[in-house]
Amino acid sequence: MLRITGGKVYDPANGINGEVRDICIADGKVVANVEGGRTIDANGMIVFPGGVDIHTHVAGAALNFARALTPENQRVAAKFMRTKDTRMGIGGQTPTTFATGYLYAGMGYTTVVEAAVPILSAKHTHEELRDTPIVDKACCLLMGNNELVMDLLEVGEYEKAKHTVAWLISAAKTYGIKAVNPGGVAAWKFGKDAKQIHSPIDGYNKVNPGTIIANLAKIVDELGLPHPMHLHCNNLGVPGNVSTTLETMKLLEGNRAHMAHLQFHAYGGDDWHNMRSESVQLAEYFNAHPNLTCDAGAVLFGNAVTITADGPWQHLLYQLTGRKWGNLDVENETGCGIVPYTYKGSNLVNAVQWAVGLELLLLINDPWRIFLTTDHPNGACFWRYPEIIHLLMHADIRRERVRALPDAALSRIYLADLDREYTLYEIAIITSAGPARALGMKQKGHLGVGADADIAIYNQNPDGELMFRYPRYVIKGGEVAVEEGEIRSVKDGHEFVCQPSYDEKIEDYLKPVFQQQYTMSFENYPVEAERVHGMQIAECSYHKETRTGAPEGDSPRTTPPSGG
Amino acid sequence: MGGKVSCTLGEVKNRADFILYWGGNPAECHPRHFTKYTIMQKGKFLPEGRKGRTMVLVDIRETMSVKAADIFLQVRPGKDFEVITALRALVKGNRVDTALVEETGLKLEQLQDLVDRMKRCKFGVIFFGMGLSMTRGKHMNSAAVLTLAAEMNAFTKFVAMPMRGHGNVAGADMVLRWTTGYPFGVNLCRGFPRFNPGEFSTVDLLVRGDIDAAFVLGADPGATMPQPGIDTLARVPTIVLDPKVTHTSRLARVHITTSVTGISSPGTAYRMDEVPLPLRPVLKSPYPSDEEVVRRIIAAVDKKTAWLPRPETMSSGVA
Amino acid sequence: MTVTITQHATCTFCGCVCDDIELHDDGVKIIKTKAACSLGTSWFLNHTAERLYPDALIDGKEASVDDAVEVAAEYLHRANMPLVYGLSNVTCEAQREAVSLAEKIGAVIDSHTSL
Repeated sequence: MLRITGGKVYDPANGINGEVRDICIADGKVVANVEGGRTIDANGMIVFPGGVDIHTHVAGAALNFARALTPENQRVAAKFMRTKDTRMGIGGQTPTTFATGYLYAGMGYTTVVEAAVPILSAKHTHEELRDTPIVDKACCLLMGNNELVMDLLEVGEYEKAKHTVAWLISAAKTYGIKAVNPGGVAAWKFGKDAKQIHSPIDGYNKVNPGTIIANLAKIVDELGLPHPMHLHCNNLGVPGNVSTTLETMKLLEGNRAHMAHLQFHAYGGDDWHNMRSESVQLAEYFNAHPNLTCDAGAVLFGNAVTITADGPWQHLLYQLTGRKWGNLDVENETGCGIVPYTYKGSNLVNAVQWAVGLELLLLINDPWRIFLTTDHPNGACFWRYPEIIHLLMHADIRRERVRALPDAALSRIYLADLDREYTLYEIAIITSAGPARALGMKQKGHLGVGADADIAIYNQNPDGELMFRYPRYVIKGGEVAVEEGEIRSVKDGHEFVCQPSYDEKIEDYLKPVFQQQYTMSFENYPVEAERVHGMQIAECSYHKETRTGAPEGDSPRTTPPSGG
Repeated sequence: MGGKVSCTLGEVKNRADFILYWGGNPAECHPRHFTKYTIMQKGKFLPEGRKGRTMVLVDIRETMSVKAADIFLQVRPGKDFEVITALRALVKGNRVDTALVEETGLKLEQLQDLVDRMKRCKFGVIFFGMGLSMTRGKHMNSAAVLTLAAEMNAFTKFVAMPMRGHGNVAGADMVLRWTTGYPFGVNLCRGFPRFNPGEFSTVDLLVRGDIDAAFVLGADPGATMPQPGIDTLARVPTIVLDPKVTHTSRLARVHITTSVTGISSPGTAYRMDEVPLPLRPVLKSPYPSDEEVVRRIIAAVDKKTAWLPRPETMSSGVA
Repeated sequence: MTVTITQHATCTFCGCVCDDIELHDDGVKIIKTKAACSLGTSWFLNHTAERLYPDALIDGKEASVDDAVEVAAEYLHRANMPLVYGLSNVTCEAQREAVSLAEKIGAVIDSHTSL
């Protein structure tokens, strides 16, 4: 039992904006009142719901490949020494699993979504998530290049494709799906890409990226998955790609979708020399279409490691940079590419990327629809989020940083013209309440009665970067996990999965196809339930009429948590 | 630098029309590699199976695998690096000195023909074995062959993959990477992971005699290490977990018999392409599993005074 | 004699890790394999559930697992620079525990890969 008293509470899901009030906790949940137990005096502090990272890469085959490829990064990274309760680890661009849990919790984040899981190696992802302490977890299954599904769409078998997707999600024990460069990664298996939304994918007559995108969005909605299709658009990172992004968004009208790392998809120009920001054009469309949510995928200057299922893009980046290149194509499902990268303020392209991420966060006017991410570790490491928060809260600091960019960059970006400054209430939305809602996690991202007691308490400080980097307390599942920078409790979190229903006869169709195209036994393909540590099954109860976007009025949402 | 450009084995089965084995003898060491994963399979995009694929074998001697190859290139021992370097030059269209190539035991025309075939294929793969990675040049050879495959992607689809040996050695790489950040040879004695192959690799530690105890599981270094290394294992207290009493057990202070992986003990193993597979044990062993015994040793260690590195700096957990 | 048939068993003898093996066993021995190669077949047929070796040895003398565990823990705890080595023919779950042990005793941990 725990009472947090005297703090200014920011709980946007319940319309609470900086009021001083007590938060009571019992059995890991927020409750109306408690008698006895510990009291935390939060006078002069601010109280946030624990952070929710809707899109990050922290576990599984791709990230573990990146660890092997970049020992030079690990050598200079922060070291985690063993203590009585904590394990050894290494931070940096590709933190070890234990360090990942400590770093997220240490920053006030308590729920993390691993955004890219191949079914073939989903067992591996779950094993790593098991070794990622403190935080709750969920993951998205890579589906935009799944040949079982594409082959069914090619012959017009929509229903079979839907049951296949449902079976695959259940087999892999994931929460949602993600489409990465739809069709492009499949084409990459023979060294090609898919750059035109409406041109057939190499090897197919009918299926094009648009077919995959539209069908998967519809399938996700019909299966009732709590989180919409998570989409990494075609032509990531390429000058002029804003037209692809807008075309893609038009295909999605009538369905929900979450546009991942939108920064990487908002460029104008037609080559690397005249690349420019198209954040204004993109935000204008986005603002008018409430069926969409997105995360920023912001870039910060410094070292990064780019890790994505987008194989062809990574080959291009390898050719552009001449740095190391890791590639792992996964049979019939997806790919993975890794290239270490350094974003430099002196580089025009990087300067535009840095500005675009912030511009989108400032130009998309509904904070319930854009969330703070860096597409870790692609744009920057997740542990640098406080730097971005600081920039969002201060227009003058942004302008000072813009002045340090090369002159040629200034005519290509809008950042210096933007006056908006985020309030603490809005920061609480983009880091917690908004992503929790977009994920359909009703027990997360708020502090109403019935919510999971995941709470970050910060010393109020005009320097937002300092304030958000070092929370005074972090409470996870009702226990004090971090206190004044020290890890106090390392209790393992849960993993949320969905088990959408499907027609069992789909296995009769899948098994022979699988045996022909895969190299593993069909019976060994699904992830065993016992492999998913702390598994909680979330309901697939989305119905199309539910609206996304800003809440109606300030009425408190005290929906009981789903998933038990 | 090249990095590593690879795929899972199903991609080879479904797509590879050019398959090169370098310094490996799959016919005897990985007997089902040909039949289950590579040349003999009918793939999604290779319905004609073996006929649709070209197989090239590069090795220093004729092995049983030669029979399966369309082309066999016999390299002089220790000259693999030179051959790979010449291939990389030819791939880029650079001139290569005939005399230099001939020192490798091959002819320039043979290498040019190989490069032409590599560029003509739709999907090429190089599997390399210990004949490349454990002979003169060692990791330099592996890096060179991985770079060759990466550079081929400017022309066509190309990948490379090491032929991992012992059962679940791939799994050890995976687990060490996610827990410590490094794949092998990780030194934890300062309280955080450090990596320096050549300094912290077992053979170097043993030959230098740098350790004062050894815990061996899933290996028999007493049979394979150089003699000075074996002497170290005999000198320090060595503890062995193994289903059999091994050479190492005989020079150890402690041996504990464990159940056999996959036959009696359950769990996970990784294939050479880093795909995890569940084990389905069939026999109930009278012995405990390695996992269980290690856990029991941890519990026994936990009862003693804990070793905590540099306790005064532990407050933030970050060094 | 009752024969149990297990489908889709996984062979860990070599890096192919084939997972389509059929095993027939009588409770003590595997008496037949299907789909396994010659190396896999001898691997499966040569390992039984018989008690062919002592539970444990301390200084070459037969001992109980309990005692051997205590002695092992004592040696490892006392060492300044212990080595944890091998990790090839064991499960990932055992490897994961071995890392945990290596952390507690401040060891170097290494596999066959470093050879």
